[in-house]
Amino acid sequence: MEALFLTCIDNGFLEGIVRGYKSGILTQSQYANLTQCETLEDFRTQLSATDYGGFLANESLPLSTSTIQEKATQILVDQFNYLRGNAVEPLNKFLEYITYSYMIDNIILLITGTLHERDTHELLERCHPLGVFESMPALCVATTVEELYQSVLVETPLAPYFRDCLSANDLDDLNIEIIRSTVYKAYLEDFHSFCGTLGQPTQDVMQRTLAFEADRRTINITVNSFNTELSKEQRAKLFPTIGRLWPEGNNQLAKADDIDQVRAACETVSEYRTFFNDAGVSSSSAHGNGGIDDLAAASMLEDRFFRMEVFLNKQAFLQQFQYGVFFSYVKLKEQEIRNLTWIAECIAQDAKDRIQDFIPIF
Amino acid sequence: MSDEYPSLLRSERMSLVQLFVPTEVAHDTVHELGELGDVQFKDLNPSVNPFQRSFVGEIRRIDDMARRTRFFDAQIEKEKDVVPVRPLYECAPLLTVGPRSAQTVDELDTTLSQYESKLTTLNESYQTLSERTRELTEARHVLRETAVFFDKAHTQTSNIRSSFDDSATPLLTSHDDREGGYSAGSFDLEFVAGTIERSRVPTFERVLWRVLRGNLYMNHTDIAEPFIDPSTNAETRKNVFIIFAHGDVVLAKIRKVAESMGATIFPIDANADKRADALREVENRLEDLQTVLYNTGIGRRSELVKIGESLRVWQDVVKKEKLIYETLNLFNYDVRRKTLIAEAWVPTRDLTKIQLALRHATEESGTSVPPILHELQTSKTPPTFHRTNKFTEGFQAIMDSYGISAYQEINPGLFAITTFPFLFAVMFGDIGHGFIILIAAVYMILREKAMAKQDNGEIIGQFFYGRYIILMMGLFSIYTGFLYNDLFSKTLHLFHSGWTFPDNSTRGVYTGHTYPFGLDPAWHGATNALVFTNSYKMKMSIVLGVIHMTFALCLQVPNHFRFKRKSDIYTNFIPQMLFLQSIFGYLVLCILYKWSVDWTKSPVSPPSLLNMLITMFLEPGKVDPEKQLYPGQGFVQMVLLGIAGVCVPWLLISKPYLAWREMHKTTGAGYVTLGNGEETAIARHSTDETLEGEEEGNGRAIAEGDEEHEGHDFGDVVIHQIIHTIEFCLGCISHTASYLRLWALSLAHAQLSEVLWSMTLDGRTDPKSIGGWIGLGIMGFMWLNLTIGILCLMEGLSAFLHALRLHWVEGNSKHFEGGGYPFAPLSFAGEGKEA
Repeated sequence: MEALFLTCIDNGFLEGIVRGYKSGILTQSQYANLTQCETLEDFRTQLSATDYGGFLANESLPLSTSTIQEKATQILVDQFNYLRGNAVEPLNKFLEYITYSYMIDNIILLITGTLHERDTHELLERCHPLGVFESMPALCVATTVEELYQSVLVETPLAPYFRDCLSANDLDDLNIEIIRSTVYKAYLEDFHSFCGTLGQPTQDVMQRTLAFEADRRTINITVNSFNTELSKEQRAKLFPTIGRLWPEGNNQLAKADDIDQVRAACETVSEYRTFFNDAGVSSSSAHGNGGIDDLAAASMLEDRFFRMEVFLNKQAFLQQFQYGVFFSYVKLKEQEIRNLTWIAECIAQDAKDRIQDFIPIF
Repeated sequence: MSDEYPSLLRSERMSLVQLFVPTEVAHDTVHELGELGDVQFKDLNPSVNPFQRSFVGEIRRIDDMARRTRFFDAQIEKEKDVVPVRPLYECAPLLTVGPRSAQTVDELDTTLSQYESKLTTLNESYQTLSERTRELTEARHVLRETAVFFDKAHTQTSNIRSSFDDSATPLLTSHDDREGGYSAGSFDLEFVAGTIERSRVPTFERVLWRVLRGNLYMNHTDIAEPFIDPSTNAETRKNVFIIFAHGDVVLAKIRKVAESMGATIFPIDANADKRADALREVENRLEDLQTVLYNTGIGRRSELVKIGESLRVWQDVVKKEKLIYETLNLFNYDVRRKTLIAEAWVPTRDLTKIQLALRHATEESGTSVPPILHELQTSKTPPTFHRTNKFTEGFQAIMDSYGISAYQEINPGLFAITTFPFLFAVMFGDIGHGFIILIAAVYMILREKAMAKQDNGEIIGQFFYGRYIILMMGLFSIYTGFLYNDLFSKTLHLFHSGWTFPDNSTRGVYTGHTYPFGLDPAWHGATNALVFTNSYKMKMSIVLGVIHMTFALCLQVPNHFRFKRKSDIYTNFIPQMLFLQSIFGYLVLCILYKWSVDWTKSPVSPPSLLNMLITMFLEPGKVDPEKQLYPGQGFVQMVLLGIAGVCVPWLLISKPYLAWREMHKTTGAGYVTLGNGEETAIARHSTDETLEGEEEGNGRAIAEGDEEHEGHDFGDVVIHQIIHTIEFCLGCISHTASYLRLWALSLAHAQLSEVLWSMTLDGRTDPKSIGGWIGLGIMGFMWLNLTIGILCLMEGLSAFLHALRLHWVEGNSKHFEGGGYPFAPLSFAGEGKEA
């Protein structure tokens, strides 16, 4: 009880704020209205009746999908910065952890971009604003992992995560992917243990969400590593050591050769069982064309993962006095922005038949 | 009835009207009605998406126009020197009604887009120019700063290389005191020079240090003046840096880091003469550019000035047009017949005015087909509309913020005009303080026109809105101040006192002459003054309270008559009244009687009325002859108590009983409770049919959204009445006690003002020396400030709040029904205020 009151003193205000933000998330009926739009202008009119308000009012016509996405992200970023500005320890630290995943994404984006000799400024613009840090631009200079670490990353909070992958010397596509997975694994494990220090309600909610995140990564890595140069030992090293599949599911996945084996590995967790239902059927029905079919299965899998993520994040709001709501809000909002972008994209490209393929939140 | 003079007693009688507006005149009609501000349109397409409504295209176009005006506004705001914007009332109005209205709007649209594109091109060129200026300025700074650096290096013949092992220390300071063997001019080192944002310098330095593995020789200085981005007006401050390094790879790396960190790199020559040449060239180009930039700026400014002349009109037009089309979207649009069907609430007595407006709109638009207006019969509750003027507005707002009264209910706002300032003044009574707030109110009223136009800010705006309330409060406070004979805690000797103090005795002797008005000044300073005023003010509070409650209770009666609930008079009003009067009305009578008796000549000592009231309940019928107020008191009190006792079950049972009997009668006659609802449904259906004849299946226009019909559930009646009874009986006691706040606040106010006087001015009013005068000046200043700040503002606010509570809780609970919804007419005037 005492802890409860203390949480209220420190974070009650922010929790109230974030719950208020949450009620601004678009509902099913609002999505239904949005999907009926004929043009992006309709889309704007429709959005102006929601919590987004006049966020596009000062944009000159014609609207582009990227503007919509950018502005919507800006709203999320502003809200997040407001929360962060008002937060005290340990919530502050918690919110910082949320940004780390964006930082990792940005770093990988920059390295990949530099590798393919893209324009630095263009790359910087594409970075997620939540994951921007001061010395980030200098990433473009590095050519080896060692250099990367020594010149830039050493001063960021991500430095410990990168320590494990300094062995990889050349920066090529595969190595970057390995780096991303290794770093993300380290991040998830660290975040997981950090949430463990936060005490009961938070620990419960967050570790459930993070466990799913870890499992998702594990399965994704497995599915994506079929028919690549990645050896099975290397693959096993990339799996986060948390999650509901760990350890025996992870061991099975490390040895898996096709999607059926993945499904077998996931059988142990009832929630994941349904993910593979159709995917398995389709892959067995058209066995001759395995590569393409795996791809389709993977994309379907991805969709279901998103649904599951949304479901878990929604559940986080059922518990009070915990930090999970902050994490979940950011994730839900991100999903919403993805949805909006999808719908806007469908409207812009006149692909009405696929407009319903977004993931509704509420 | 509908022709009666508008009064605040009840809300206006409203009519639901249906308008058939031909499409050609729709725009002008709505415009005219918007100017009139007297019609509240109903949404006839509640189920239609905003973007599926009929006039979305127009709204979108107007939104775009609004965006352009906002753009102009922002541009004007951003301009460093103030661009004059002509206020709306000085501009020639732009006619958007009549046959040429569409053309006007089209023209406005093109004008706006022309200006926008003109402004955008100007902005762009201005931006590119200032971008180049900025670059050149930066180059100049880099050249100058590096020159300084090189000059220093030359004259001091410093050794740069020896500092490599210790690069973390600031090199600029350390290299000065180093004497090296290297001669001047032996600069074979390559370097990179440029500018970077100041906030990034530390990161830049750190990253470079790490990238170059500690082999960093970097020098940077601040550029004093900030760079201003013309499009956002944001200030950036920059630093000049120069980095020395050896080897192409390292240099390339430095360049890359610098570029990725947002630095601008300038090619600088190591040769001093070439640098001087470059500097000269840069200066020349900069000068040219600045001239061009200045001219562009002038051109842009003149464009903005031109826009500023009519910007407000455009904004006004755009706002009105938007409102018009949004209203038109509420209408039912019959495509085949080219008419719009609207439904609206209008005050019944303004029907002719609206008819006139409609005709006017038709004439203006130059067509011969007038809109048709006809009244509909409806069972829906109309909105509550109190027609206020600038005087009554504030008082009505006080009551509306408690709750919107039901349609045609007795409006408490009318009575608040006198009761509110009076109850306030009972607590605030002081001639001086009353005068101060009166002056403040009079000042605001005299400067009304000027103040209404300007933006007063939130706090002053509040006071300004309530200026007539303050005026009344001031007047009443002066009046009660005279009653209390209180002027800044001093007394006035207007008449001869009724008391004399012979031979310096402290005991006053009554002269047989009563002070004609207010409190006798002799009480001031008497030892028992507080005892006397306390007793007086306390009893007065009870008397006023009971009068106020009785009055509020009486306001039920016209409501019962108006809503045809005559039985409520017997079941609610009479028992409530009897209950209140038999206990507290009796107490008031006793108070008045006790005041009228000269107790100095009476054989018994004056009895305590509080104890009397308590014993009336505890030992009914028995009165101690020692404490008897009048003969036969015991019997009278027993009878009164009996009446009050009877009233409780009366109040509790009679209404549910009547409801039960009514129900019994209807069911006995073979009706089911559906009856009522069915009837209206049939009625509506028949109107549908008649309409159908006219508009072929567009009867939907009125058949929407059934007002929910409150079922007459017997259980509800019982529970409601139980709650009502308990609330009323307990409320009578607690509310009477609640009026004692009148006494408490009045006492506090008087005491506070006395304390303030004695702490500051007492004894200083007759200074003998210069020091005394200075003291008087300081103390007088303090006293005045505290009087205004604490006694008038703070105490005034507290008395205001308590008066508010007495009206909302003690007064309104006796009669107020509420539950209405306010009349929100389409009005351009209101929109204008908001912006």
